[in-house]
Amino acid sequence: MIARSNRIALLAVPGLAFLAIIYALPLVMLLFKSIQGAEGLTLVTYIDFFRDEFNQTVLWRTLRVALLTTLLALVIAYPTAFAMARAKGIWLTVFMVALVLPMSLGVIVKAFAWSILFRSNGFLNTTLQAIGMTDGPVRMLFTETALIVGAANVFLPFMVLPIYSVLRQLNSSLPEAASSLGATPWFRFTRVTLPLSLPGVVAGSAFTFSLAISMYVIPSLIVGERQQTLSMLIARSFLYLRNEPLGSTISAVLLAIAIFVVLFSSWLAGRLGARQ
Amino acid sequence: MFAQATEQRPPAHRYLDVVGAAKSFKGTVVMDNMNFRVAKGELVSLLGPSGCGKTTLLRIIAGLLEADTGDIILGGRNVSSLPAHKRNISVVFQNYALFPHLTVAENVAFGLRARGMSKSDVKAPVAEALALVRMDTFADRPVSALSGGQQQRVAVARALVVSPDLLLLDEPFSALDRKLRETMQIELKALLRSRGITAIFVTHDQEEAMGVSDRIAVMNSGRIEQFADPSTLYAQPASPFVMDFVGLSTRLTGHVIAQADGIATVKTHVGKVRANSQLVVGTPVQVGVRPELITPDPSTEMNQIKVQLDDVMTLGSKTVLHGVTTGADKFLCELPGIRTGYARGETVTWGWAVADTLIHEVPA
Ligand SMILES: Nc1ncnc2c1ncn2[C@@H]1O[C@H](COP(=O)(O)OP(=O)(O)O)[C@@H](O)[C@H]1O
Ligand SMILES: [Mg+2]
Repeated sequence: MIARSNRIALLAVPGLAFLAIIYALPLVMLLFKSIQGAEGLTLVTYIDFFRDEFNQTVLWRTLRVALLTTLLALVIAYPTAFAMARAKGIWLTVFMVALVLPMSLGVIVKAFAWSILFRSNGFLNTTLQAIGMTDGPVRMLFTETALIVGAANVFLPFMVLPIYSVLRQLNSSLPEAASSLGATPWFRFTRVTLPLSLPGVVAGSAFTFSLAISMYVIPSLIVGERQQTLSMLIARSFLYLRNEPLGSTISAVLLAIAIFVVLFSSWLAGRLGARQ
Repeated sequence: MFAQATEQRPPAHRYLDVVGAAKSFKGTVVMDNMNFRVAKGELVSLLGPSGCGKTTLLRIIAGLLEADTGDIILGGRNVSSLPAHKRNISVVFQNYALFPHLTVAENVAFGLRARGMSKSDVKAPVAEALALVRMDTFADRPVSALSGGQQQRVAVARALVVSPDLLLLDEPFSALDRKLRETMQIELKALLRSRGITAIFVTHDQEEAMGVSDRIAVMNSGRIEQFADPSTLYAQPASPFVMDFVGLSTRLTGHVIAQADGIATVKTHVGKVRANSQLVVGTPVQVGVRPELITPDPSTEMNQIKVQLDDVMTLGSKTVLHGVTTGADKFLCELPGIRTGYARGETVTWGWAVADTLIHEVPA
């Protein structure tokens, strides 16, 4: 038995080797640069990084944007996933296509489409003025709000799909049992469906947060240099400033956040799973 | 006389009244004009083969499925248009449907909490309900740590703690092994009786139905073929289907060749069989007899049949002889206790009383 499962484990070797050579090795080399001082190992770049007020602003903005993106995506994704879990036949296909197709469109096309929507003489502003909500055009492009809305849009499938798959697999007699025990639809949802779908919410949120914290293309296109994020700072350090220790340091910070998110979410999912 | 009506003992009290319920799924008619009545405090079974519509009827009564037409009257109140959560009908599901994220006590408390009772107010009734099913020591366990029998007890406690007007149980014993099933049947029946609960069991197991219920509705493709107490069902099955589904029997087909003083003589391919019946000469019929009514030492006035002994099964409490006729029909003869002196291969004559012949008209 053991020999057999060991042989099956061999199947993972190509994948692990690929990750080790293409991903882990360069990453370690990169991170090493962040603690490589003139004379021996040092943490001075980290201390400098966290002392800098501009860096602090960028760090908080990155965290804030990632968190709000995750929340917005969650609020939109949950009802969508709920509807999809109930959908059958052609409707399910329509939902899936609507969800997955935009992913193949690419962020750049989307960003230009948004600029049509968000710019001062764009569709949203003309509509707002027409219905008298505002007097003049509202600044939408190049704002943090636009960035959050755009990011939530791009990452939506990563939130919808895990929640959908959990809801889809939910034993349908559980909500029925709740109803027959006198639970109103709201009580049933908050006490049965929602708690049981939390593992999907955790997984979707972890995906979305990880993607949002490290996004580069979307903020570059939507907010540009005005509102930098950590990824843009990394790119700037490597590409313009040629400051490899700084770039490596920020990368390490970003990686630490990502690792924390992954560990925290698997701990949370484990706890939720243990109760079930 | 053999029953023609589907209901031999109409209850004085029409507590649950299903009137003309019909249901189709995408044009496939599953149930058509279903009428079904249960008296208060009665334990009733819906018995039928898989796919005959038992669960569908149960779900319609519970409000989990909307009937296309028809009414559900419960305790004089028309609940047809009420959603499930306003009907006060508890359901024990086939897989128990315990909430996996809640403890045993939280599962039982669910219905009371849904009715707005506070956490402290539910403590006493939950403890009482758990004690009733002897699960009080498991109150704080997660339900995933329970065995099948324990899960069923929790499901029953959860369903009963809300004092339902009606309890529906969908194949509640099917997930349990045979020994445990029999224990649980006895326990549950006693519990429901002692609390005066009106309950409907769904089952495809005739022994289970006969064991737990006052009356049994035998269902066949969306219709109730017969609704009667277990002894009537067994002794006077209203149709070949009921005869077949409830208890073992041997069947022969033929047609009536003589009719005299309420005794019909039927010609079959292995000889003549007489039965108490008014059916007229020429009627195509099916005749049958229960294995325990066959005797290996028939008297002359009995129906007689020649068989070759094919097998002798000693089961302890009974001995079952398998006989095969010259026409390859299989007959069973069930004798109480352990019997010896029967050898495979010998040809013997068996018989049964004319009054014990079950007879039904069949389509030609
Ligand atoms: N949701 C459904 N959609 C389509 N057909 C269904 C559905 N539910 C039940 N049926 C059909 O209705 C018939 C009766 O089903 P059911 O009431 O579950 O039978 P039973 O409980 O007696 O085994 C079956 O033929 C089944 O295939
Ligand atoms: Mg069923």
